[in-house]
Amino acid sequence: MTDATVDPGAVRAARADALQKGLKRRYAREARFRTYGLLAIAVALGFLVLLLGRIIEQGHTAFYANQITVPVYMDPARIDRDYPQGTNFQLMVAQQRLAAMGVTDDAQGTQANAYRTLLSSELKFRAAQLVREDPSVIGQTVQITAPVSDDADLYLKGKIKRSEPAELRRISDQQMDWLDALKRDGTVTTGFNSLLFTQGDSTEPELAGVLGAVVGSALMLLVTALIAIPLGVGAAVYLEEFARKGRITDLIEVNINNLAAVPSIVYGLLGLALFINVAHLPRSSPLVGGLVLALMALPTIIIATRSSLKAVPPSIREAALAMGASKTQTVFHHVLPLAMPGVMTGTIISMAHALGETAPLLLIGMVSFVPGIPGAITEPAGALPSLVYIWENASELAFHERTAAAILVLLAFMIVMNAAAILLRRRFERRW
Amino acid sequence: MKLPFFRSPDGREGGTTAEPTADANRRDETVLPQGEAASEESFTPTVTAPKAPVGPTKIAARDISVFYGEKQALHGISLDIPDKTVTAFIGPSGCGKSTFLRCINRMNDTIQGAKVTGQILMDGQDVNARSVDPVLLRAQVGMVFQKPNPFPKTIYENVAYGPRIHGLTNSKAEMDGIVEASLKRAGLWDEVADRLHTAGTGLSGGQQQRLVIARAIAVNPEVILMDEPCSALDPIATAKIEELIDELRERYCIVIVTHSMAQAARVSQRTAFFHLGRLVEHGDTEEIFTNPRERRTLDYITGRFG
Repeated sequence: MTDATVDPGAVRAARADALQKGLKRRYAREARFRTYGLLAIAVALGFLVLLLGRIIEQGHTAFYANQITVPVYMDPARIDRDYPQGTNFQLMVAQQRLAAMGVTDDAQGTQANAYRTLLSSELKFRAAQLVREDPSVIGQTVQITAPVSDDADLYLKGKIKRSEPAELRRISDQQMDWLDALKRDGTVTTGFNSLLFTQGDSTEPELAGVLGAVVGSALMLLVTALIAIPLGVGAAVYLEEFARKGRITDLIEVNINNLAAVPSIVYGLLGLALFINVAHLPRSSPLVGGLVLALMALPTIIIATRSSLKAVPPSIREAALAMGASKTQTVFHHVLPLAMPGVMTGTIISMAHALGETAPLLLIGMVSFVPGIPGAITEPAGALPSLVYIWENASELAFHERTAAAILVLLAFMIVMNAAAILLRRRFERRW
Repeated sequence: MKLPFFRSPDGREGGTTAEPTADANRRDETVLPQGEAASEESFTPTVTAPKAPVGPTKIAARDISVFYGEKQALHGISLDIPDKTVTAFIGPSGCGKSTFLRCINRMNDTIQGAKVTGQILMDGQDVNARSVDPVLLRAQVGMVFQKPNPFPKTIYENVAYGPRIHGLTNSKAEMDGIVEASLKRAGLWDEVADRLHTAGTGLSGGQQQRLVIARAIAVNPEVILMDEPCSALDPIATAKIEELIDELRERYCIVIVTHSMAQAARVSQRTAFFHLGRLVEHGDTEEIFTNPRERRTLDYITGRFG
């Protein structure tokens, strides 16, 4: 009974104290960890806001444009009835405007030329179109609306300032005065830049649009999806559910995992060698682009599908097999539908990845200037990421805001695509 | 109070009451002198299963051995399973009773590396024969698993699945009839009649298990295999399933694997005791529980090991 000398109360107090200290440390650690987490999220959100904010700040001006509505006297002396597009309508309009203002030009027509550069070539196309449609307009005065030139547009949007040194800016004080006057009297108005969404690429910024690239990207993704999804899901189902596990399946699995990590430019080279040089498929076409992106997307889809098939509880397989369902029925009636949400997630990720991919497109000629809108998968086309690349490298200042706008369109495309896929996935999840 | 002396080797409590004639020497004997068990009757669950005439042999297993790769899981099992009777397989975990059960509907085929030797004759026909399609065999031999595993579809679709894949019906009305009859026979109809088109996974555990039984009997099988069907259920749900098993006995040959000695005693007419991959003893349930021939059987059913 020597233990009796130790006071049980004191022992209990010491124990409680030790526990208390330990507890404090534990809570402190927990609080620290939470703080790190919040910090990480805050930093990530900060960067996202910075990125998006910068793009929106740069790009939002591209969504509206200034256009001029002028009365044009269709001078019979200058318009060739059979070849209206041969007429320099811009110069004609400039001279008429200057005459109306009572300005006398010099022999070289310096003033008229300066005025002419404020108008875009779209004015000429529209005027020529009017003449072609109805030759009787010749000799009459018609109202024509057309975008102003890119530099004039930039000045009106405040991107070229009067305070800049005159020799560094592309618009003279004289032109600025004219524009200010036009803006004041309502001849130049600001409106939604519909050309951005209805036109293909163009060398003139005010006429360049993203539609060609959007259609090109859509056609390319269609090819990718049609090839990569059935092939990838099929391969994954076979490997996971039917193939006998052995050395060969192990080898295939290792290879698929490695292929998922191969840089995309290598796929571009493969596509160039295989689809263009050997198979002679049309260069720069969404068909070849889609094929290359499908090759790239396959490993991701296979890996995602396999892991979601693995996650289906074996009890469902047993239940179906014990009911007398064949292996194929088991897989297609029960296992695959249950794995579908996971399959869709993998597919969404790989498709979004494919949409933004630029490097392989460099090699198969999709980063070239393609005006117009592709009508088929075999026609030359651009893609949104390559359009961003082209516009960013363009020398005209007006392309810079359009680059940011194209990025926004690309993001919107991706959001729409992902939202559609997520809605589809929800339907699969709910389907009983 | 219980003394450590009366504990079984693995530390579990031996019985619910004191052991009157505990004699350590006797444990070494394997074969019990007849009548010896009577003195230990107090530990064994009382056999309350309805006595019923044991039907003719439905399944005859001859020298069944199962190998999982190098490992032999079953050693030469020979056993007759009668029709219109509940046969219980008892034995400690890993003794091979589930493996043997899965031989009957060839579910072992689905495990890579599993090899089955020997013969299982169902109505005289070897189920492992090349001419027997496992898909058709499984239409004749239904199976219910340990964990209720309804398909994540509606209650209706769960029951209709079997008849549909086997092409047993020609019309919607016929299918409705089968679904209703199966659910009624599984004792679930009254509970789900008004929500046939809601998810089967939304039912309670016991209801799910009865749904699974309804799904199994919808294809009108001859044999129903049950692999510990009540181990995930509470006592009330268990009682319902056991009642159902007893009703189903009149139409089907039922084989049930159970870890509960009491359950075997409550529902089965025949019992087979497996240990370490071997069939130790089999016979009428009453016989096994009151007068086992083997020492190991007695030890197991009285709860001395397992």
